[in-house]
Amino acid sequence: MAELMSPDSRRCTYFFLYDESKVRGEGDPTREGICYFYPEETPVDKQELLCGQLAGVVQCVSELSSSPVCSLRLHRNTFAIRMRDNFFWALGCSVEVPTISICELLDQLINLFCFYNGSVRQSYQLNSRESLAARWAQYLSHLRSGSSELQHIFSCLRTIDSAKVDPLLLLKAALILQTCQRCPPVLAGCILFRGRVVSTQMSPKLTMKVMVHESETYTKAQRPNGPSTSSSFGSTVSSTAVFLTMSELQYLQSVPVDKDFSSHSTPHNDASPKKTRLSRTLSDMAFTVSDSFDPNSSWPPQKVSFSSCLSESDNLMFSPVPSQTTIATPHPPPQRLKPPSSNGKRSDEAEEESHYYSFHSEGGGDSWIHSEGDGSVFEENSHISGDGGDGDAACDRVFRFRGVESGNEESHDAHMVVRDRVGSEGAQGHKPEQEPPPHSGAFDGPEESTLIPMTLYLHRVKGLVLALLVEPHFLSDTASTEEVYYSSLASLNGLEAHLRAIFPGAPDSPDFYIFAHFDCIQSTLTTNLSGRPRGAPEHPFVRATSLLHLHFCNTETLQEAIIRSASSAVYGTRSVAQETYFQVHGGSLRNSGIPYYQDSAFSLPTKARHKLLKHGVHLF
Amino acid sequence: MKCLLIASESAEVLFHWTDPAFLQNIQEKYEVTQEEGQRLPAFEDSISTLFAPMIISCTTLVDRLGDSYTSFTTENNHIYVLHQFEECLYIAVNGDGEEGEDDLRRKIYVMKKMIEVLFGMVTLSSNLLRKELRPQDTQQRARLWKHLQSLLETYSQLRENDQSFLVEAVERLIHPALCEQCIEFLERRLVQHLNSSAERAGEEVLHAFVLVHTKLLVFYSTRSASKLTTSDLLTLIILAQNMYPSNIDTDDPDIENTSSSGPESFYTPEPSPTNRDSSTDKPLRGSTPVFEFMDPDIQMAEDSLQTLEVPPPGPLTPRRVFLEVSSKDGLYPMMPHSMYCLPLWPGITLVLLTKIPTTAVAMSVYKFLEAFSTLEKRLREGQEGSAATRGPPNIQDVRSKLDKFIKVLGPSEVQSAQLQNVWTEFKNRAFARGGSGFNKNLIPWCKNMKTQLCGIYRQCFLIDSGPADIPRCLSPGLQERAQTMAQEKLMDWKDFLLVKSKRNITMVSYPDFPGLIHFIRVDRSTGQMIAPSLCTTERGPASELGKGPVAQFIKSKVWSLVSTTRHFLRKGYSTVTLRDGDFYFCYFLWFESETGYKLEAGDIPVLPDDSAPIGMLAWDYYWKLLRYYSKNQQGEMVKCYELLTVHLGVIPTDIILQHCRQLASKLWEPSRNPLL
Repeated sequence: MAELMSPDSRRCTYFFLYDESKVRGEGDPTREGICYFYPEETPVDKQELLCGQLAGVVQCVSELSSSPVCSLRLHRNTFAIRMRDNFFWALGCSVEVPTISICELLDQLINLFCFYNGSVRQSYQLNSRESLAARWAQYLSHLRSGSSELQHIFSCLRTIDSAKVDPLLLLKAALILQTCQRCPPVLAGCILFRGRVVSTQMSPKLTMKVMVHESETYTKAQRPNGPSTSSSFGSTVSSTAVFLTMSELQYLQSVPVDKDFSSHSTPHNDASPKKTRLSRTLSDMAFTVSDSFDPNSSWPPQKVSFSSCLSESDNLMFSPVPSQTTIATPHPPPQRLKPPSSNGKRSDEAEEESHYYSFHSEGGGDSWIHSEGDGSVFEENSHISGDGGDGDAACDRVFRFRGVESGNEESHDAHMVVRDRVGSEGAQGHKPEQEPPPHSGAFDGPEESTLIPMTLYLHRVKGLVLALLVEPHFLSDTASTEEVYYSSLASLNGLEAHLRAIFPGAPDSPDFYIFAHFDCIQSTLTTNLSGRPRGAPEHPFVRATSLLHLHFCNTETLQEAIIRSASSAVYGTRSVAQETYFQVHGGSLRNSGIPYYQDSAFSLPTKARHKLLKHGVHLF
Repeated sequence: MKCLLIASESAEVLFHWTDPAFLQNIQEKYEVTQEEGQRLPAFEDSISTLFAPMIISCTTLVDRLGDSYTSFTTENNHIYVLHQFEECLYIAVNGDGEEGEDDLRRKIYVMKKMIEVLFGMVTLSSNLLRKELRPQDTQQRARLWKHLQSLLETYSQLRENDQSFLVEAVERLIHPALCEQCIEFLERRLVQHLNSSAERAGEEVLHAFVLVHTKLLVFYSTRSASKLTTSDLLTLIILAQNMYPSNIDTDDPDIENTSSSGPESFYTPEPSPTNRDSSTDKPLRGSTPVFEFMDPDIQMAEDSLQTLEVPPPGPLTPRRVFLEVSSKDGLYPMMPHSMYCLPLWPGITLVLLTKIPTTAVAMSVYKFLEAFSTLEKRLREGQEGSAATRGPPNIQDVRSKLDKFIKVLGPSEVQSAQLQNVWTEFKNRAFARGGSGFNKNLIPWCKNMKTQLCGIYRQCFLIDSGPADIPRCLSPGLQERAQTMAQEKLMDWKDFLLVKSKRNITMVSYPDFPGLIHFIRVDRSTGQMIAPSLCTTERGPASELGKGPVAQFIKSKVWSLVSTTRHFLRKGYSTVTLRDGDFYFCYFLWFESETGYKLEAGDIPVLPDDSAPIGMLAWDYYWKLLRYYSKNQQGEMVKCYELLTVHLGVIPTDIILQHCRQLASKLWEPSRNPLL
């Protein structure tokens, strides 16, 4: 039976989102609560049966154990369960898929939804079920499709085969990202080629989320749709609103941006347009490294003057004066980055934190301690840059996101609170120095679910995509967008041409062995087992790898293992940072199963050590 | 935080067992909602209320989806495992991290196996089993549940502490010379004496064995006896351990100690007049260890169970056990036997298994049950008329035999009127001209017939319905004589045996294996295992591993290794080596011909995660594996072995493999006696 099913349908058989708050009374029909059900063609009464029974039984078990159920199994399906905010998610896969992977998959799915839509509850308040159902379907199909079974096992990133690519190209890609990041509103980015990662500055999980949108726009041939907006650069550039969790944001901000560059950026307006290019090609790298160039040169005059103020005197930063000037601006924009938290103080801190880097690189040359904890400068910054962005889709979203009907007024109030506090702090002097570092874990727990709106900016050059996570005001800031666009355009074109020339690479000479090497830190997989049907789940190597990976996950002290069935012997080894699996093809495995030291299975570790060297895998 | 629950489809609790932590958890749930001063609801009510939604949802899913829950896991790592046998739903829960899903599933299967051994074919009728497990009389129910609870606890304790119950194979005491003497004694003297005695009341001793704690000193079967399966033997050891527990915890062969654990009253023959019910043949232990250590408050609230003292049964009353018998014309599961557990000294027990005179009735009932099941199955598949009745079994043959069977039952005290009526009705419908013949309409009547047959079986073998003055078992005098004979025989060996059982073989005896820490070798064809003793307690004799934490650590590693290798075996991997921390583990499963010729490793079937547990106690995986493998070995007897080793991680792999090779090819005792 299982053999008849395609690998995809083996992976996911059911997925549903059920809103328990809609079914409270005895008379409420279960269907009222069904927000999304996959497969969509399932008869309604079966949908109701599954939703009703599973939600009910999970309730019963959760009560008995005083803890939410995270997975349940039937004879034919395993379900991962998540309950949050009266929502009930269940993702069902065939029982061959390890439970741990299903739970991971469900988390990915929910996180993807939140990344592109913000809070689930509010999304359902603001949008129709049908439109959101399409989103769920899209994310689900993204997660189910594309990658091979091995990639599913490790839920790793799809990367370009680094063995086939000139390392200089990877360096070039990294450089493009680095230079883009120097533009203040840019948090981090990644470069993708035909749905595979070339280089990324983001965590593997975040990169995976970004790739969903990329693949969608890729398949839809750059047709602007949904929340995406095309910019003045035509169809090659698009953007969409996204939402980061607090920890993701913290992670992004914990990566140091080139300080060297920042210290050089003294404000001067006479910089030539050529010098404002953020990106440098490899050829001109030698010159530009020591080159001083100014990101502020094309900022609006108002901003430039403010920046000058900052560099003139540090003290100014702590005076309430700049804040007052913002009140004078005709359209006080909302505090778009303020997390929807009732705890004012905490969210303020979060806010300050979330803008540390943007401030830092803008303010130029100041040590970060100064900026930390001081919201006034940040306020100034965001207001100025947000000036032209009142009609911005991302901003609108923020209003709704915060659930403010008369958005301007309340955000204004909130703003005043911040200002007041900042003012008093400014009077106290350099208090921020005593504050704990921003990553002390203050935002663990409930704050984790706080979502901060950001924008995903995509610049496509044929198969190549530059994806940047930028602060929402980036789009309205023509100077920055042009900056990023023009400075990376040439390099992207060059990179695309090079990558295209490499793909698809020459077919491998068939090895007499199979291996899979998983880098746990970067979440990347190197393997010489490619594509179906050899990569299909029934392949002995894939089966063994899946099983061993599970045991490595469950037993911390397990370092290596050899397992042998009648037809295959697989060796697996792992260290803190990597897992490697190795199997020798064919060769008669005739053995009696009785221990025998000349048995070929036991020479696998030595063989793996030798053979994998040429793939850049070092086993000890 | 452990619990095991059996429920009917209508969410009626048929049996429950909880540890104190779980009991408290349940009660706390009610304390919150209960008003001050109000009495907590009876525990049985609480538990059935809390589990009801789960049970009902299970039934709903089976009805409407043809699927059902097999497990739940919560975020705080509570595990619920569910399994449905016929109409009984078993739920096992663990909330303390000590048991995994596999362990819970195993526990469920073991519970079911024990119920089968205790109730026999009555388990084939859900209706009757429900009544049997949950007697109307609360006292009777409390007594029965307590017995089952203590069996379950005995099993759990053995599984956690005894290597033979870890791998589910019988461990023998290694002393070939003594073993030989004992066999001779059992054959020539004891069994012969018993079977030729006039006081045996028609019973015939088939098997006799001596247990030293859980280890088998000697096992003897008469020529007419069929082979006792490992599964049944392991269950009998649990029953014997439950009656005369050897304190594994103290590890001290101290007489006082063992007798102080409660069952002194067993020695007082006190045939209670109320014993004329189904529990007569199931002597019960006075108290279960877990409840002894309970908070008195909890004990008070604990339903009627606590208020009852189980009437101590006579020690010489045999218990009825239902075991598999293979005879010339096939396999008969759950045939009635009497089991006599005669304590020789604390820790040493002589067990006699006898065939009861009415075994033939059980065989007939089984054949009829099988016939009606086959018929029902065919009718369900849509076959009608002659297609459904075409043999085997030949329906006309069944008809005449059943007619005869009922006629024979008639004059006896067995109440067969009901069976007679249903059978007449069945015949009218099936065979008479006006009847509907063999079609779907007959299915309920097939079921009805099966229930009636199970009812007859129940009357014959579960209820002691005969007049009290007619002896129905080996007379007390005869039992005492057997006891004395065995005591005389083993008197000189007694102390030796008690020590030997703790240090059956030791790693010291294997100086040729540097770096080898532990091994277990199992012969799955005979269901026997051998392993160096693991002593983990402070008071017991020390093994080479010392006492306390180190030994405890090794023990926990061995236990987890067994569960890991089972997991791989389930997925078709028969060789596993693991480097885990400072240790190197190996596991091998292989097949040999009877002459010791190595056979090529065959494919091992891949089983789903929720399949029956791998082992020999509850469900004989290895027997099925052997059958599967033998299909390709023309007529040759195939043997199956397993070897597990634990080495120090610093030992080179080729040395480790050499060790494994030597341990696998032949295992010798230091005195050059071959083991296994």
